[in-house]
Order: sequence, then C-alpha cells, then structure tokens
Amino acid sequence: MLHLIDELKVIPGVMGACIVNSQTGVQVTNLPALFRVERLALVGKHLLKIYAAGRMSFDDLTDITLNYDESVVVARELEKNTLIFAICDPTFNQNLLSMSFNLLHEEFKLGNFTEVEAEPVTMVAAPAPPSPPPVESKISQALLAEMKEALGKILGPMAGFIFDEVMDNWLEQGAPDSSRIEELIDQLNQEIDDQDKIDKYRQLISSALEDSQKG
Amino acid sequence: MATAKDFVDQVNKINGVAGCLLVRDDGLVIDQTLGDVENYSALLQMSSGLADDIMTNVGFSHCHYLSFNRLNNQTFYAFPIDKYLLGILQQADCSVSDMLDRVSYLIGKVSTNQATSVA
Repeated sequence: MLHLIDELKVIPGVMGACIVNSQTGVQVTNLPALFRVERLALVGKHLLKIYAAGRMSFDDLTDITLNYDESVVVARELEKNTLIFAICDPTFNQNLLSMSFNLLHEEFKLGNFTEVEAEPVTMVAAPAPPSPPPVESKISQALLAEMKEALGKILGPMAGFIFDEVMDNWLEQGAPDSSRIEELIDQLNQEIDDQDKIDKYRQLISSALEDSQKG
Repeated sequence: MATAKDFVDQVNKINGVAGCLLVRDDGLVIDQTLGDVENYSALLQMSSGLADDIMTNVGFSHCHYLSFNRLNNQTFYAFPIDKYLLGILQQADCSVSDMLDRVSYLIGKVSTNQATSVA
C-alpha cells in the first residue's frame, strides 16, 4: 500500500499522505516523521467527522480541503470510516491531486489495499517527553534564530514548525550545549533530506556559526 | 446588524457566488441568501470547530477556509471570520480563483485576522 501513497508524494507540493480508519487508527503514512502517528490518527478522526457532516449536506461530496496559512489538507473518504488525506504546500496542484485520489480510490475499491488491514501501523503511545531544559546561555539564542530563519529559506513555510520539532527532540537528548550544535544541524539535515539543500543550509548558517564560536 | 447584512449583500453579488450565509459562532444566523439555513449553519459550526482542533493539534496557524468539493462542482466554502462563520455556495461554472480573491478581499476588510489572498 505504501507504494500507492508514495505515488502521491511525487506530485509537486505534496508533502505526503496518510490513510486512517476510525477504529484502527493510522493504516499507512509517508508523511515526514515530525507528523507523529498519534497526531495523524487524531487529525484523521477529525477529518472523518468533517467528511461525515459534509456528506449529510451533500450527497455528491468528493473531497474536503482545509486551507491553513502554511499548508493545505485534502481528504477523501475511501470507504465508510476510512479516509485518505494529504498534506500539501499551498502552491500544490489540486487538480492533479484530485485525479490521483480518483485513481487511488479505484485501486482501493478493487481491493488492492487488502494487505493493509493485516498489518496496521502499531500505535505506540509516545512516552511523555520530559520538560525540555531551558536553553542556557551556552548556546546563543541569536544563532538559533539565524538557523531557524535560514531553514525558512530552504524548506519554506513549514520550516518554523519543523525547526521547533527538531529543537524539542534535540533538547530531550541532552544539554543545550554549544558542543552539541552539530547534532542539531545533523537532525535538521535529515529533515531537509536533499544534499544540495543541506549544503546551501550550511552555507547560510556558516557565518552565524563562526560568530557563535568566537563569542 | 446592518453592517453584517451589507457584508452578506456584497458577498452575494460576487461573480460565482450562488448564495451565502453568515452565522455567529454560537449558531445564530445573521443573514442568508440560501435555503436550508439550519443545515448549513450546523455544518459551518461543526466543521470549523474541528478544523481549529486540527490546527492546534498539528501546529498550523490561521485557517483561511474549508471547502466541500462536489461532483456537481458546486463547492461549499466555510470561512471563519473572527467570531463569525461565512458559508458560500459556489456556482458550478465560474472562475473559482477570481471568486475566492474577491471573497478574501471583502473578508480582509472586516476581519481582524488580516485575511490575505486565499486563491
């Protein structure tokens, strides 16, 4: 099933997709890891409710679209209580995604997704994260601000959200010491996931890093 | 509520708008040019509340609008505007981006959320 939603990811502007069942939760997803499974399950359940409400008003409802500042969420019901949704940049091509949903929906109706039900994604409750320690003066707030701003130039509107998530993880893994700055950069690089962009990001933050080391 | 009614009047005159309604977030219908108001009002309230929950859950910021896309191309839109909800039924054959730009412009004039282009 993953290969079918992976095809959606090829569409420019589509970050990834997720199939959710109201009873069993997330069936499959190829969204970036920062979208945690338990959150996606909740999003899916809310979308199912919106879809059900829409269906009560419109018999011929196809998709629902939620347009936020940073992203657009597009959802379609595959069968009762099962829905697929994609999270996209605001510039995505809606017609192309809608057509791909049509094809995927046909595959689903033909039963080509049956293997899905045999192996639902295990919903492991994430342990409650310890309260992140305050960022000490060892690492410059100005450097973090520069890094966040630079990430915006690389990843666009989702950058702030991604940076905060990575930052939270980084803080959970150890003290916010400047000696760990490369760990933080490595984790951001994993999110960027494109060598050219990683190089560009390093270039953008290099002077801030140097200033920080001097300071 | 003359201002709100004027607003509904102006929205209703936009090319591509088949009808609209404005409701307060407690469900009170301020004005409408559509039938079946109770049904649309409930849909607006419920869907915008859930869209807000998604926004909080995922970490998105402002929700510009929701759309219910249909086979007959008469998409229904829900625009949260501060304490109000604007519902718009689109005509089947219209320039959607022009219509949304016009709606967005009008919302920007009345909203404190500084609505920007949504198309």
